[in-house]
Order: sequence, then C-alpha cells, then structure tokens
Amino acid sequence: MSTPEGRAPGGSVIEGDGHLTDVERIPEPGEEQPLPPAKGDSDLRGQTPADIEPPADSLLVVRNLRKYFPIRKGFFSRHVGDVKAVDGVSFFLRKGETMGLVGESGCGKTTTGRTILRMEEPSAGDVFFDGEDVLEMGHEDLRRLRRKAQYVFQDPFSSLNPRMTVGEALREVLTVHKLATGDAADRRVGELLEIVGLRAEHAVRYPHEFSGGQRQRIGIARALAVEPDLIICDEPVSALDVSVQAQVINLLQDLQDEFGLTYLFIAHDLSVVEHISDRVAVMYLGRIVEIAERDALYRNPLMPYTRALLSAVPVADPDHKRDRIVLRGDVPSPSNPPSGCPFHPRCHHPLKDADCAKIVPPLADKGGGHFAACIKVPLGSGE
Amino acid sequence: MPQPILRVENLRTYFRTDAGVARAVDGVSFEVSPGETLGIVGESGSGKSVTALSVMRLIPVPPGEIQERSKIFFRGEEGEIDLAQASEEQMRKIRGNDIAMIFQEPMTSLNPVFKVGDQIMESLRLHQGLSKRDARDKAIDMLRLVGIPIPEQRVDEYPHQLSGGMRQRVMIAIALACDPKVLIADEPTTALDVTIQAQILELLNRLQEEMGMAIVLITHDLGVVAETCDRVIVMYAGQVFEEGAVRDVFHDPQNPYTEGLLRSIPRLGSDTHRLAVIPGVVPSPTEWPSGCRFHARCPYGWDKTAREEPPLFELSPGRKSKCWLVEHPERREEIRRETGGFTPEGALTGTGAATPAAGDPDTDSVPPVEPEVDS
Repeated sequence: MSTPEGRAPGGSVIEGDGHLTDVERIPEPGEEQPLPPAKGDSDLRGQTPADIEPPADSLLVVRNLRKYFPIRKGFFSRHVGDVKAVDGVSFFLRKGETMGLVGESGCGKTTTGRTILRMEEPSAGDVFFDGEDVLEMGHEDLRRLRRKAQYVFQDPFSSLNPRMTVGEALREVLTVHKLATGDAADRRVGELLEIVGLRAEHAVRYPHEFSGGQRQRIGIARALAVEPDLIICDEPVSALDVSVQAQVINLLQDLQDEFGLTYLFIAHDLSVVEHISDRVAVMYLGRIVEIAERDALYRNPLMPYTRALLSAVPVADPDHKRDRIVLRGDVPSPSNPPSGCPFHPRCHHPLKDADCAKIVPPLADKGGGHFAACIKVPLGSGE
Repeated sequence: MPQPILRVENLRTYFRTDAGVARAVDGVSFEVSPGETLGIVGESGSGKSVTALSVMRLIPVPPGEIQERSKIFFRGEEGEIDLAQASEEQMRKIRGNDIAMIFQEPMTSLNPVFKVGDQIMESLRLHQGLSKRDARDKAIDMLRLVGIPIPEQRVDEYPHQLSGGMRQRVMIAIALACDPKVLIADEPTTALDVTIQAQILELLNRLQEEMGMAIVLITHDLGVVAETCDRVIVMYAGQVFEEGAVRDVFHDPQNPYTEGLLRSIPRLGSDTHRLAVIPGVVPSPTEWPSGCRFHARCPYGWDKTAREEPPLFELSPGRKSKCWLVEHPERREEIRRETGGFTPEGALTGTGAATPAAGDPDTDSVPPVEPEVDS
C-alpha cells in the first residue's frame, strides 16, 4: 500500500481530502442534512419504464412492484412501519436477453427476484409473464408458471436435499410437472446431467459428494428439467471458487445459446454482471436507480450512485487508473429511507441541492433508453 | 530495502482428520518488511488462512500441528525469535501487541456482550499497562483514527449497534491499538459491499503510511491485490506457486495457475465474450495430487509434471515460480500454438462430451474443505 499521498489505490480521490474522518456518519433519524438551496436546475422530464409500452417481444413485464415487510412491535404486535424491501420496481425483459440486476446487500434485488415468481407475495404492482398476469394466478396456474420460469439459488448445497440422490432430485421435478416417468425419466435425468457437463452415472450420488461448482451445475440441471423460458439466477457464482466461476458462467452462456433462455441475473459482482448481461439495472434501497444497455451503463453511467459503485470495484490490473469516488457512510435502513432521493445523503454530485431532499426522482428516460433516477441529470444525457 | 520484520521458512501445518492427514500448509516461505504490503492470494483450501493462523500460533493443537523445521522468524525489540518455537507465554506478549490480526467476519470476532470501547481497552491495559482512564482515552483516539464519527459516544456502544463497515473499523482499531509491527488481515473486506470495501482498503492504506507497519493481506480477490499490495505470493494446494512484485506477476505471470486465474476472471471494461477456464476442481488437502499439484488442471502439463514435483525456482531476486516450465520454456509457446493454453473450451458445450471440465467425482469425491479452524 505504498501509493503516494494517502490516495485511493489506483487513482485519486474525488470525494473529500482523502481521509475518511467524519465521513461515515449515519444521520440520526430526523436529522437534516445541510444542503445548498435549490438552484432550479432539476430535470424531471423523461418517461419511466412504467409509462412505456413494453416491446412486443417482452417475456416478463414488471410494473411498480412493491414488497413491504411489516414491522410489528409490542404485545398486540402493532403495525408500526414497513421495511420497503422493494419499492416500485418497473422493468421489462425481452425474450432471449440477459438482464443483470446489481446492487449492494439489502438493496432488494433478491426480494425482487423472489416476488416475481411469487415465492414471496408482493404487496402491490403487476407482473406479466408472456402476457399472463402472474399476480392473479391460482395454485394450478402457478404450477404452470413454474414450468416456464425457474430459479437458481446462490448456495446450491442448501437448496438440494442432502438425503436425495441427484437422480431422485431431478426425477422429482419431472414427476411433479408430469413430464416423464419410468425409463423415460431415467433417460431424461442422464441427459440433463450431461447437458450441464456431468455424467449420467452421477445420478446415484448424493449432493455432498460433489464440489461447489458441480453442485451449482446440478442446481442448473434442475432448473433446466422443465425446459423453462426464463431462469432467475440469484448470485449463481458468488459462492464458487475463482477458478470454477468461469466454468459456470460459460455454461450459462452456452445453455442460453442452445435453448434460447432468458436470464434475470441477480448479482453484486459488477464485473461478472458486465460480462454476462445485455442490459443492466442498478438497485438502491428497494428501487431501480439506473437501467440501460450494458455498454451504455458501464461506459456512461449517469446516476451518481452507479458511478461510485463502478469506481469502487477493484480491478485486477496494477496499472488500472481511475478516479475513485469513496462514498460517505453506509446504506440507510430500508425501514427509514431518506426523504426525496434515497441516495442524497451519500451523494457527491456537484449540483446536489435542496430539491434532492424533497423530490423523489423518477426513473426517467434520459435519452436512448437510458433510464436514471436523478433530477440533476438533464434530459438528453443518455444519448 | 529494509530488513524483513517477519520471515517464514518452510512452514508446514498439518491437521489430523478422519479422512487422513490434511497437509493444509506444505512448505510455505515468505518475508515481509516494515511499510510493505504483501498479498497472499489463493482459493479456498489453498492454505492461506492456515498460514496466517500458524504465524499467530492460533492453530488448534490437536488436530493441527506446526511441523518440525518450520521457521517463523519475527524481528522484535529483543532480536529475532522463532515463533514456531516460542512458548505460549511469549506468544501472549506478541499477539495483539507486535503482531495483530483482523478477520473476515467482524461480528464473530467481536464479543457481543462487551462495549466496543472495553474491547479496545483490553489489549491496551494488558500489553501497555495503561490505567483505565488512559486506556479509554486511547480507545477514543483509535476510534477517531479509523474514521468512526462521535467516538466519545460510540465507545460505549455494543457491536450490534454498528453497521458491518463500522464493525470492521472497530476490529482495525483493536488490532492497531498497540501499534503493531505486523498486521495480518485475513479477507478483511470479503463480507463487505464494494463501496464499504473501498473505504476500508483506503483506511488501511492511510494507517500504514502513518504507522509504518508491515501488512500481510490475505484474499481471494485478485483485484484487491492489484490495488493494494506491493508484492504477492500465489498459493495453491498448500504451497507457494508464484511470487513477485504485483506488477510483474499480473502483467507477466510465470506460473500456469496464476495465468489461468488471471484469464478466467471477468474484468470491468474488458470486452471478452468468453472467459478462459481452468478445468477441473480444487483438490482436497488429504489427497494432494502427485507431482505438481496443479498438473491435472494444467494445459501445459506433460508426464514429468505428473510425476515430479517442481521446486520453487528463483527466476530473479524475489521472483519465483513453482513450475517445470522454467526449465522448459519452449513448451509454453508450443502448447499455446497448438491448443491455445487456457481457453473457454476447457468449458463445456451442450453435448456433455467435454465432461472433464466438471471434474470427476470418482476421483475427487471429497469436496474441497478447509480444515475446521475456529477463528
């Protein structure tokens, strides 16, 4: 750590004087952040994803999705507030594309994924899968939905039953969805294992006999068993060793090419998301704050939060230079989010002013389909 | 170049397990000088954490044991002593005083029933014999130093009242309270979000400049190494596979394992469509492969690499690689021309024909586990 003058490794510090003293202050509830007066340069124009007619080839359309977890207190479990885990999320997903959903822990990305497939019941909003209203579905409809939309979990070990062989686990899926029985089911199990790069003989083994990367392949095989159109991958490689991550990432890409899959790829690792995604959405405190084509988002991030996030990613190149933005403080609690723009207490935007604490910024199209939730980013910046 | 403050020679730490003897650390040597940051990078099971715990003599005995002829020289005020031979009493004086350690998960290493101030004061009173009042003042100073706001108030709070980033700052305050000569940081930012990680790395960087200690930074994240370390050792299967200045190792990796690692990670802003792949799985410490421990996963391997273990060749002062390619450099070019070395095709296609990529549970049936060490 012998970089000169107390600078951030690999670049200079924009924020502050390079020292972190006093920057990590979490504002006490009700405490006002001193902000310069509003200057009247706020730009609220631009359509939001909820205003826009989704493209005809959309597989998944999510509108104003909300998931609140009630906070209860006292003897009578009085409802005293809500954790707004997902607070008005709108996006669409085209057939065959991969959308990355990134954000720090607690931003609501996992809850968003779970709510879409009704593993959690949403509090409000609309979800349409292939034109059908997911939130109106009854039990039988949901079963049909899960033949088309599957989920791959972060930790394949805890999502596999340790007392079932891999073959039994896969056959169960085929039975539940009435896809195959008897010899046909056995053949299909072998086929699925081979698709994900294992061997048919492995069907008789138990999950603990496999390494982490192999277990994740089994998790993927189970999702593929129903021949789905959509797979929601929730941190599928973050529990894996560095040397096997690439194997699983390549496998996911191969399967997409072969079966025309659509992915919602939830992850905190911005490098992995950049690598695999066509479009990327960034979440902060339960909201999408920026959404754009992959290259637009990574080359021209508009939202100050996205910029800070990208600048914080360590890059495996000692000569990589950048201006690192060291953010102030921690992510505020989703049970008591800041007023106005949820990011304003940590924001480093030079135009930040009183409007930021008052106006909830719409996720507006800043041009060219580049949406950003910042009133200080003028219309046209996305082009 | 200043004299190294910590010099580890041929460290071997073995664990007796039900599955046999796990040779978790198997002949590791390195040194670190004051003001220098040495990175130890490796995957889970590579032995990097056990190396750190061995230096601190925090290996549970049994099942663990630091083997004979392992040397851990620390240059203290009374001259050089071998920590591998030091008595428990000597170690108690050194631990937390001369050599301090911070761990990955601050919540599990902070005591939940004591105020953070008391936990900082504990080592100050023990090692430096400060009075309660002086220790408390120093604790407040330390909290201020690590960037915790309103330290006069925070000193009386409990760990659960702090966020993850703040807890890691408290850990750093505890570790640095006695002005250690060596700080061992074991995955200090792995449990943290990237924006908080940037804050913590920045903090360590600043404190090192102010206090001049040597830092041994253990991580699996090559990006963190590239941005914070001066020198790096790359560990695989309990051994050092490559060593050198960070710039040399990252720009011109000599060991195929390092090369594979660097090529298989996606990098921000790079345009690779397909990642190169290291085939196979990480081996188990109870049954390391014969010959070079990486040979089964290495595209450059030949019969010699499967049979004979290569020494850690010194290529130039401070630049080392444990690979027979050092003696047969022509082979590297040859294989690269023929097969491309590490390629995405180490991965699989939909046909399942390329099964070796996934490893073979017949031979690698035991998942790679790091020996149980309660830290």
